[in-house]
Amino acid sequence: MRQLNLSGTLTILLVLAVWEAAIRSGLVTYEYLPAPSAILVASWTLLRSGELAAQTLHTIGAVLLGWAIASVVGLSLGLALGYSRTVRTYLEASLELLRPLPGIAFLPVALLIFNFSLSTELAVMIFASVWPVLINTMGGIMSVATRLHDVARTLRLTPARTVTRLLIPAAAPSIIVGCRLGLGTALVMAIIAEMLGNPHGLGYAVVSELQAMQPERMFVYVLAIGFLALALNAALVAASRLMLRNRG
Amino acid sequence: MAERSDVPEIFRADGVGLEFSLQGQPRRILEDINLGIKRGEFFTIVGASGTGKTTLLRVLGGLQKATGGAVTFRGQPVAEPPEGAVVVFQDYSHALLQWRSVARNVALGLEGRLDAAAQAERVRASLRMVGLEKNAADYPWQLSGGMQQRVQIARALALGPEAMLMDEPFGALDAMTKATLQDEVLRVHAETGTTFVFITHDIEEAVYLGDRIAVLSGPPGRIHTLIEVPLPRPRNQIETRQMPEFLRCRLAVYDAIQAAGRR
Repeated sequence: MRQLNLSGTLTILLVLAVWEAAIRSGLVTYEYLPAPSAILVASWTLLRSGELAAQTLHTIGAVLLGWAIASVVGLSLGLALGYSRTVRTYLEASLELLRPLPGIAFLPVALLIFNFSLSTELAVMIFASVWPVLINTMGGIMSVATRLHDVARTLRLTPARTVTRLLIPAAAPSIIVGCRLGLGTALVMAIIAEMLGNPHGLGYAVVSELQAMQPERMFVYVLAIGFLALALNAALVAASRLMLRNRG
Repeated sequence: MAERSDVPEIFRADGVGLEFSLQGQPRRILEDINLGIKRGEFFTIVGASGTGKTTLLRVLGGLQKATGGAVTFRGQPVAEPPEGAVVVFQDYSHALLQWRSVARNVALGLEGRLDAAAQAERVRASLRMVGLEKNAADYPWQLSGGMQQRVQIARALALGPEAMLMDEPFGALDAMTKATLQDEVLRVHAETGTTFVFITHDIEEAVYLGDRIAVLSGPPGRIHTLIEVPLPRPRNQIETRQMPEFLRCRLAVYDAIQAAGRR
């Protein structure tokens, strides 16, 4: 366990105190900027009513599902592209064409096809977060030392064993980096898609509190998104440590 | 395994050449290599750098295809790494799987071929042969260079090969470690009767280990001279190296390398 960073925590508390003081003293008077204490009260209300939990659960579920699909697709494509020059020759042009396309530009298309639904949210997420997994897997596989390929051949490993016992474990660090980047992208895309395309989850909650002119509640959801990002990343770091320790 | 006692030579190379084009320019790496390596022989190959030693070894081991001539192992043409011949590389740190323990590195070539118990037994026996039975659970990065190279040798031995092809295996090791490993390889050779093809740029090493020495010239690589080493076995780091025959062979190899360089 890491120790609590005391000085860092102090800084945060200080910022909150200044914010609170600035609003209470009337030094800062934006009509819709709530004080930290008001946000705290709103969080308590939303926690008790179960709204916060429900919206968070939706977003976690969507992110994990979309990210898992994107990771499987990205990993498979990345492996094929990294392993086979033929696959690269056929696919590289199409991929280079699709890759720079910002995932969010895809949202209207997804909306048209899937309507306001979870499918729309997933489609946008998967389209955006498949890239980091794919690119990092491909790069990882391609940069496996040529010596390991020699080893696989002279020990007469089958192609399947070469991939699962040698290439994937050797490329594991960059595959994991790809998956981590993919998870971050998936969360961002999920929030945007919920704001615009799928009326559920934390992204939707932020927008609907905005429209309801409830800034305290809106801030609660914004903070919840931040904590969710932190938690997902921490969980993945722990999981990847475990995976690296037990590779192939 | 088909035993072909009618083939006296375990490796044969007939008119083997290798060339490829580099930016449109043809580059000849090997030219008209003719060679027969006898079963159980310890065959060493020396030559200045750029004479195609490594390429020749890779061609014998099926890692690289000759573009001319024919290579056979146990009478069968070599296209891919053949069963029974395994290559040991110089750069042990790249050749070992850093994320696997010593025992699991040694087991790599056995997985999917033997059941767990048989694998464990082979791994144990191979590690014992190179004196690493106490390090089975260690990871390569925890070991010295010499020990890492032993792991690679054990991994090759675990396959029970008829031929070991070693590419300057001790080139990166200090003199003392090198001497110990030379004796270990000689012991394995005596115990198992495995054929060794051993590349080195160290003349004394070639003489100390070998039954026969091929001196390469090049580029393109050709066999310049073949030298018989009439030293008795078992060999000994002190006594063998003081024998007049040892000095004579060393001089012969040295002269051959000089002559090869003047060609």
